[in-house]
Amino acid sequence: MKRKVFVASSIAAALAGCAKITNGLNEWQPAQPILNSAETLNQAIIGTRGTARLYRPGDVTLDYPVNSLDTPHQPEYLSLIESDFTTYRLPVGGLVDHPQTFTLRQLRALATLDQITRHDCVEGWSVVGAWRGLSLGSFLKLVRPKPEARYVVFYSYDHDQSGQQFYGSLNMAQAVHPQTMLALDLNGKPIDAAHGAPVRLRVPTQLGYKSTKWIRNIALVSNFKDIFGGQGGYWEDAGYAWYAGI
Amino acid sequence: MDATAGSSAPLPRARSSEAGVVVRRHSLVTRTTHWVVFIAMIVLTMSGLQIFNAAPYLDASDKSDPARRVLSLDGRTTPAGSVGVTTILGHELTTTHLLGYTDDGQGGETARGFPGWITFPGYQDLAGGRRWHFFFGWVLVLAGAVYLIWGIGRGELSLLILRPSDLPKLWPMQAYYLRLRKEPPDHGKYNPLQKAGYTLVLFVLTPFVIVTGLVLAPGFDAVAQPIVWLLGGRQFARTWHFVAMLAFIGFFFGHVFLVVATGFVNNMRSMILGTYRLGKHEGTGP
Repeated sequence: MKRKVFVASSIAAALAGCAKITNGLNEWQPAQPILNSAETLNQAIIGTRGTARLYRPGDVTLDYPVNSLDTPHQPEYLSLIESDFTTYRLPVGGLVDHPQTFTLRQLRALATLDQITRHDCVEGWSVVGAWRGLSLGSFLKLVRPKPEARYVVFYSYDHDQSGQQFYGSLNMAQAVHPQTMLALDLNGKPIDAAHGAPVRLRVPTQLGYKSTKWIRNIALVSNFKDIFGGQGGYWEDAGYAWYAGI
Repeated sequence: MDATAGSSAPLPRARSSEAGVVVRRHSLVTRTTHWVVFIAMIVLTMSGLQIFNAAPYLDASDKSDPARRVLSLDGRTTPAGSVGVTTILGHELTTTHLLGYTDDGQGGETARGFPGWITFPGYQDLAGGRRWHFFFGWVLVLAGAVYLIWGIGRGELSLLILRPSDLPKLWPMQAYYLRLRKEPPDHGKYNPLQKAGYTLVLFVLTPFVIVTGLVLAPGFDAVAQPIVWLLGGRQFARTWHFVAMLAFIGFFFGHVFLVVATGFVNNMRSMILGTYRLGKHEGTGP
């Protein structure tokens, strides 16, 4: 019996050692730039090509999951809900020749893109939704980006528990991809608060964490070094790859 | 030029049945890529289980669909405490402390799919797991490409690939392993079963694991919709990717068993130093 206990505790110790080694390697800073070189290769080779599959109405997942931070609960967002988003304004600025602010009614008038696409979460699950909204590429033409604009940054109404604002970014190729959309409707109804009302991003050629919800304002920039953590997005600042095509 | 020439003095090439002759079996390229791929496969498997843990279930469908779930590892709270439940094709197994509710990689236990001692890193860190997985995915692909290109150029692959003429020797070789036959059939550098195994792993299983992994990437799907369709959809591909990982683990144990059973020291020496003492009925040709 004693021997069994000894064997069992030795195995347990060895197994605990396993996690110690992999945890240590994971936190070993010199490895990080080497590991991140794979992201550069992924982006160079997979990049932003082709188009995501279009599904049929019967393929839609009715119970579209919510997997993000909580629905914003800041007074600014709550008052928007109270006004039924009639007070919503979307400023688009930064490196553009014609900065503008749009009302939801103006955005609705421009919403001509319908697509049923799959949303792939970084966690590994996926869901199909019918989206209606504006092609981001044609929308950006209205504000006339300057030649030096290389990224589009989307700021959200959402904040995490520490107060950090949620944000994300796309490069111009991703932004003008024909399927990249500022979405207003999900499955035939205006997007509800949990799913990113009133305006959210949908990028079917990228993982879901690039599809910023509850968009508050949009800015075109030449780089994102000086924005929050400097990695180009909330999840990127938390360690996820900026290139989310894989 | 002797095709087996290595860093030191070239050793003689043995003819078939020159048992006992020491030959240079594995070149520096073969040995290096073998061990690089070995390390890559360990990290890929462990970081893959880390990634799996972020959604610890598999569906045989295009999009997530609980009605078509083939595997799930769940942690459940019961009046008696937390339990881990593994559901395979609808059959529930209690797997507390191993799967579903298990080692959190930090000295405790929590609800998670695979335990911390088999994931990379041990604690739950999807972003970290993805970094290791994608980097070593490239290591696997590049080391594999070096081996294949070199192997074609130096004729190594023609010794390894299963040929129609090997097929009649498959059963005699298996019978020898099963001790139903005293002697193995005469063969070249690799015996017929080795050729079958390595051909399957190199040209079926490895491409399969790479493609099923790539299909999980929305950026790849956008240029490869027919491949996604062939695999039964994105979530189905995730299931196939998992199955391919199990097949690699099966190969690994079979491989190691045979390394041990057919002359451990001789085999290990051939893959570390390159030299190998030929056995009966063993040659160096195709």
